[in-house]
Amino acid sequence: MIPVLAIARRELGGYLSSPIGWIALIVFTLIAALFFNLTLWGYASQAMQLGMEEGITEQMVQGFFGNLTVIGLLLIPAVTMGVIAQDRRERSIELLLTSPVSSLQIALGKYLGAFGFVVMMIATTAYVPGMLYWMGDPDTGVMVSCYVGFTVLMGVFVAIGLFASSLTDNQLIALAVAFALSLGMWIVGWLGSILGEGSLATIVKHISMLSHFETISRGVLHVNDAVYFLSVILFFVFATTQRVEALRWR
Amino acid sequence: MIEVQGLTKRYGTNTAISDVSFTVQKGEVVGFLGPNGAGKSTTMRIIAGSLGASAGTAKVDGVDVAENAKKVQATLGYAPEVPPVYTNMTVRGFITFAARVKGVDDVNKATDLALSRVGLTDRAGSLIDHLSKGYRQRVGLAQALVHDPRVLVLDEPTSGLVPNQRIEIRELIRELAAGDRTVVLSTHVLGEIEAICNRVIVIDKGRIIKVGDIAELSGAGRVVKLELARPDGADVALAKVDGVLSVERDGNRLLVHTDRDVCEHVAAAAVSFGLLELDGKEKLEDVYRRLVPAGAKA
Repeated sequence: MIPVLAIARRELGGYLSSPIGWIALIVFTLIAALFFNLTLWGYASQAMQLGMEEGITEQMVQGFFGNLTVIGLLLIPAVTMGVIAQDRRERSIELLLTSPVSSLQIALGKYLGAFGFVVMMIATTAYVPGMLYWMGDPDTGVMVSCYVGFTVLMGVFVAIGLFASSLTDNQLIALAVAFALSLGMWIVGWLGSILGEGSLATIVKHISMLSHFETISRGVLHVNDAVYFLSVILFFVFATTQRVEALRWR
Repeated sequence: MIEVQGLTKRYGTNTAISDVSFTVQKGEVVGFLGPNGAGKSTTMRIIAGSLGASAGTAKVDGVDVAENAKKVQATLGYAPEVPPVYTNMTVRGFITFAARVKGVDDVNKATDLALSRVGLTDRAGSLIDHLSKGYRQRVGLAQALVHDPRVLVLDEPTSGLVPNQRIEIRELIRELAAGDRTVVLSTHVLGEIEAICNRVIVIDKGRIIKVGDIAELSGAGRVVKLELARPDGADVALAKVDGVLSVERDGNRLLVHTDRDVCEHVAAAAVSFGLLELDGKEKLEDVYRRLVPAGAKA
């Protein structure tokens, strides 16, 4: 476990000592603040017109995280593009490949480091619950569920980005692959809607991240949604492990 | 300690190394010599476990690298030609990280020791990005040393360094080789092999073409250089000496090629021609030139 944590710590430190890490953190924080203000503005206008304070959780929290997911979809591939590709380009991967650590430990360490950084990004939105408690009486359960769902969803994007980064030593290609894969898994649900009913449509809808996230964002945390997200994360971490192993014996 | 048997590595139709076999005993310092693309780095990377072989085996202390890379890597330090460093880390931070991934128990102590061994204690707080090439090479060596390995595999450790830095790294390798540590190093500098190594493995076009002791190779008396006061007729006379293959003459100087050490007989025959100087030791450079065809530069 120590090598995994060491790799994760180094990866996290790498983000905090690189311009791209700080740019991603600042961009995410600013856009999140902008989205929060826009959502707040919309809610305030509606509340003033209708004279109600109810629905603060649904409109504020769900609306906020719904918008933020799109930013995650765009930003996470940029965060993860260099996680292995840069190591390959600069040949620092050689240190890991010639150290007594397994490919799984390398993949896990890299994943945890990148995910840790993304959790830091999400943590910059800590003012959101504070503001909502100050403004009204939000549903804590829904709010927690939204945070958990959003964090897990970002964890899926990180796993996809990690895998894309292991495919090449070119960070731009890794970025494009990660974005394409993430977007594909996100919008595949639309294909399910087009297909209508039937077993194929059901399967496609199950694969889509969107349908699973929608359930969580309503404040309902089903076991099948949790299993789905964890399965996707494990699948891509495992696929990355295979890629690292292939690098070792290519 | 290191046992390489029939090692072959193919990239598609291109064969990088073919049927490479050699052994390195505990405590030996062995130099890998060969032109660019000869297969030195490929062989070293297979031994270090960062590259798989297409055929053959590489064993360290009896453990097959392909079967148990982690066990081998726990006792082996590898410094590739390009130091595998994270340039946005400090020297200390990086070596501490290397110690952790290599499973060192007392990380701080091991880091201090490795930094002190390579003379980087004063630079411990510097960003690797700000270091000169020579210092980066030292960082590369420090990461290879931090877990106190019994086997060191160093790929071109002095590549791209200025003479002063080369001498420093050479001294460092000599210190590291003291005791019973086994060292395999590749270099472009023949003098380095002569200065540091006990044995040399000459590799060309992916095949081993010579393995031998430095003393044996450079002192084999295969080429005898002579300077004579009266060289007329000496070439004919020397050619008749048993063991002499051919004689080349260039003014007062003669180059006698032999099939074994017949230095004494050549000297006896040369006395009557006014022998001024005789050098019966073939330099490693000469051996290398003889073994590796012209055009392939080290």
